[in-house]
Amino acid sequence: MTSRTSTRTLLWALLASIVVLYAFPFGYLVLTSLKPPTDAIAVPPTVLPKAWSLENYGTALATPGVIPSFINSTSTAVISTVLSVLLAVPAAYGITRYGTASGRIFVMLALVTRMVPPVAVGVPLVNLMSRAGITDTPTALALAHTTISLPLSIWLMASFFEAVPSSLEEAAQVDGCSRLQAMVRVVVPVVGGGIAVTAIFAFLASWNEFLFALLLTAVRAQTTPIVIANFQTQYGLQWGPMTALATLYSVPVVLFTLLLQRRIVAGMTLGAVKG
Amino acid sequence: MSHNSGLSRRDLLKWTGVSGLAVMATACGAGGTTSGSGAGGAKALSVLVEAGGKAELTKIAEAFTEKTGAKVTFIELPYDGLFNRLSSELSSGTLSFDVAALDAIWLTAFAGAVRPLTELFTADVKADLFPALVTEAQVGGQFVGMPVWTNAEILFYRKDLFEDAGEQAAFKKKHGYELAPPTTWEQFNDAAAFFTRDGKLYGTDVKGAVETEFLAHVLQAGSPGVVLDATGQVIIDNEQHLKALTFYSDLDNKLKVSPPGAEQLDWAGAQNLFNQGKTAMMRFWAHAFPLIPKDSPVHGKVGVAPMIGGAAGVAGIPGPWYLSVPKATKQADLATEFVKFAYDNNAMAIESSLGLAARKSAFEQYADKPGYEHFEPLLETLNATATKPRPATAKWQQIVDTVLIPTLQQSLTPDADYAALLAAAKGKVQSLAQ
Amino acid sequence: MGRADPRLPGGDVRAGDDHLRHRRRRPGRGLTDDRFALALMAPAAVFLAVFVGWPLVKLIVDSLYDIAPLAGTREFAGLGNYGEALTSPGFLGAAGRTALYTMLVVTLEFTLGLAVALLFNALGRRARWIRTLFLYPLMIAPVVAGLLWRFLLIDNFGIVNELLTRLGIIGGPDAIGWLSDPDIVLFSVALPDIWLTTSFMALVLFAGLQNIPGDVLEAARLDGSGPWHTLTRVTLPLLRPVIAVALVVRGIDAARAFDVILIQTNGGPQSASETLSLLIYRTMVRFGEPGLASAMGTLYLIAMLGVALIAVATIWRPGKVVR
Repeated sequence: MTSRTSTRTLLWALLASIVVLYAFPFGYLVLTSLKPPTDAIAVPPTVLPKAWSLENYGTALATPGVIPSFINSTSTAVISTVLSVLLAVPAAYGITRYGTASGRIFVMLALVTRMVPPVAVGVPLVNLMSRAGITDTPTALALAHTTISLPLSIWLMASFFEAVPSSLEEAAQVDGCSRLQAMVRVVVPVVGGGIAVTAIFAFLASWNEFLFALLLTAVRAQTTPIVIANFQTQYGLQWGPMTALATLYSVPVVLFTLLLQRRIVAGMTLGAVKG
Repeated sequence: MSHNSGLSRRDLLKWTGVSGLAVMATACGAGGTTSGSGAGGAKALSVLVEAGGKAELTKIAEAFTEKTGAKVTFIELPYDGLFNRLSSELSSGTLSFDVAALDAIWLTAFAGAVRPLTELFTADVKADLFPALVTEAQVGGQFVGMPVWTNAEILFYRKDLFEDAGEQAAFKKKHGYELAPPTTWEQFNDAAAFFTRDGKLYGTDVKGAVETEFLAHVLQAGSPGVVLDATGQVIIDNEQHLKALTFYSDLDNKLKVSPPGAEQLDWAGAQNLFNQGKTAMMRFWAHAFPLIPKDSPVHGKVGVAPMIGGAAGVAGIPGPWYLSVPKATKQADLATEFVKFAYDNNAMAIESSLGLAARKSAFEQYADKPGYEHFEPLLETLNATATKPRPATAKWQQIVDTVLIPTLQQSLTPDADYAALLAAAKGKVQSLAQ
Repeated sequence: MGRADPRLPGGDVRAGDDHLRHRRRRPGRGLTDDRFALALMAPAAVFLAVFVGWPLVKLIVDSLYDIAPLAGTREFAGLGNYGEALTSPGFLGAAGRTALYTMLVVTLEFTLGLAVALLFNALGRRARWIRTLFLYPLMIAPVVAGLLWRFLLIDNFGIVNELLTRLGIIGGPDAIGWLSDPDIVLFSVALPDIWLTTSFMALVLFAGLQNIPGDVLEAARLDGSGPWHTLTRVTLPLLRPVIAVALVVRGIDAARAFDVILIQTNGGPQSASETLSLLIYRTMVRFGEPGLASAMGTLYLIAMLGVALIAVATIWRPGKVVR
């Protein structure tokens, strides 16, 4: 009995140390953002601020383009999420419900899409967007981001649909629903939670994306990850304001996901997906 | 849970309709930057700049708007993103800008896609620009960019240390001459070794992640050019390059007067070390002098001097940015007018956070004022006869990234064979420059 | 509210359309199931064809040309670019580093993730809040994570070396040049990636563990199997499908790593952290050689597909899991 308790204690201690190691980096980022700019890069560094200061936040928010970039990040992510869900839901339904050869081929192709290095399609995409006359708009960036999130979304939605017994829409069809109606009115509402999970992942994929944003935006559609990287200019790097902006950009999603953690865990474990 | 998130087909169609409309609406709005310049309407100009350089042009742009009524918008991008944007837009001909600020090293690559500005370069203009800049602005016999601001490395040193009576006496005793801001490599080595104190203070820094400083030393050694000579021959293995590399890397390898991590030390890192009081001397871009933070331990204790000199005397690599007008812009006249205006009102750029200009007269106007102590050394460095621009080759960036920086980093190991490294570098540069 | 409401403004036309469809379909069942499924997949398929397929075709076509974007010239070069890529030490080096980086990330994530998952499993429900905490790095942008770790590891003012020194583990703050020593930099740039996604591994494996029926493990225990034996002979084989998915997904992501490395070292020092993504990006947009970059991209894609397919075939083994 005692040996069992001590094993328990050991396990907890192990876990606690992992947690500290895990929480530390982000905690240090937040603490650094609250130091005066010069202290932020002091040699040698300190963990806790010697003085607390919001100066870095002031500088970061006063930097032109920062606030619009938040709006751009949000609108890009929203457009991309909506598009992704709208395309993924019927596609995943078609794949899982009818088990056709075309469906299997499509799943394979969608998987292949996921293997495409963004850097390989980035530049052709830029040309495509500029031919369509939509470069430097949240829409163009959202379209690009959807190429990343759509395969994920299809994969996720397919797992959710698979969990729904097909007797459900059979019953609906007996009641006189068409196949489309059975899908839209009966099955889709049942996987509402799954759609929410899919949407969260699509949103995060877009919110955090860097390469396409770098290639596809200039001034009007610039998202925050680019602005964060912009603090590194040719002649210097403003660590202080950069940590402040990085904190501001991360805190909402971190809080948001902690609130919705159960759904996210469900999504990840179901589809084995990384957002 | 399922009720709210359920979408009916009608909702679905409505949403697709809406997002479809959104696509179209933005599509119509997008091309507007350059095409909106129709007759009669308000004039507008877009200027593409690197994130750090926008401040330089802000005042000038405001004055330009006041004078001409044309609204000036800036497109800011990170350094890497800027080059990429330039090359993709200039090659496709679909532009989001009418004027671009180009780093000197990109001029050759983009020369074919920008309008010649030769008519702006009158004798007076050329006389008021530093000789290296006049040379650099010409590609294939045409002037392709107008310098807006230029930088060069000068010597930063800790006045409090160099003027300390105890330090002066100790230095004289050790080296047999008066302690003063060094003007030569030998003096620099002496002072750097003298101020290196077991981990608390280092004589200077050695930057392995950037190449320009090493190239300045190459010119100081009297090389006819850096990496390539005027005819395009690869000269990276000449005697002067070897001398410069030996001087540069021995600071770290043999004298050990620099902080750890030299291989990945870049400008920002070096600047921070100096501002934190960890290095006694720093070779750095002049603009940094007024930017030493008030809460830095060395604030008010920093002196500036011209860049150090070698056998050929003082020399630096100018770091200018040029304004160019792409051929494909629909507002060529207005854009050219802006470039001329920026030259005419060049001194306005000095009252910005970067605080640099391109004209001698603009620098001279401010050189006597307090807070502009760095202008005199900067002028001297830029006017030095050995100061030269980097070679005009479209492959420069690639030479820097794939040959120069790796070579420098390899040289920063204790047993490095400098001559062998340069010989290997020569082969790589030749295969790139073909 | 989402339920169909025929009185929605603008809904009339569509409602009519609905009736039309019913009439068309009901008698002869209209579309076959196959066609119906196809119609449902079509929008997504068209989207992917336009925004991924077309750029890929462009990539492959471009890889056959010598292109000078600024001069605007384009000459057919056959497989010349492929030859150039396959003989260039830069490309081969980057390919090796990409493979090493991927192995490193996936191995460490898997080992740590499995350890944490087993811990969670041993501690049961009480570890729930910790599972929540474990989730947060997954939400952080790779750019932010890269910057953060660069800041933690940077020479001279990185906190990691400072803390290690104070703990007496290393001799001084300059003992390890995380980001400046070419021998270890590939490992250092992998740290943020590992930090970001070990949680993913842990949570997926944890879910897999929870699905293993208790009586199977109990039976193993009664057979006298030790914990290590149970893990390697019973638990891991049962987890095989989950492990396969997790490894493939993470492997693909790690092999494409771009922003974390770009922001930390930009591929340096001495190109020691330059992976294929970085090299292709550079060749494409910084050196202006889209032809060569496209050939590299195509080779990269082929390699990814090949490795992923082999991985799926060998470790996934869909179907019945062997006991």
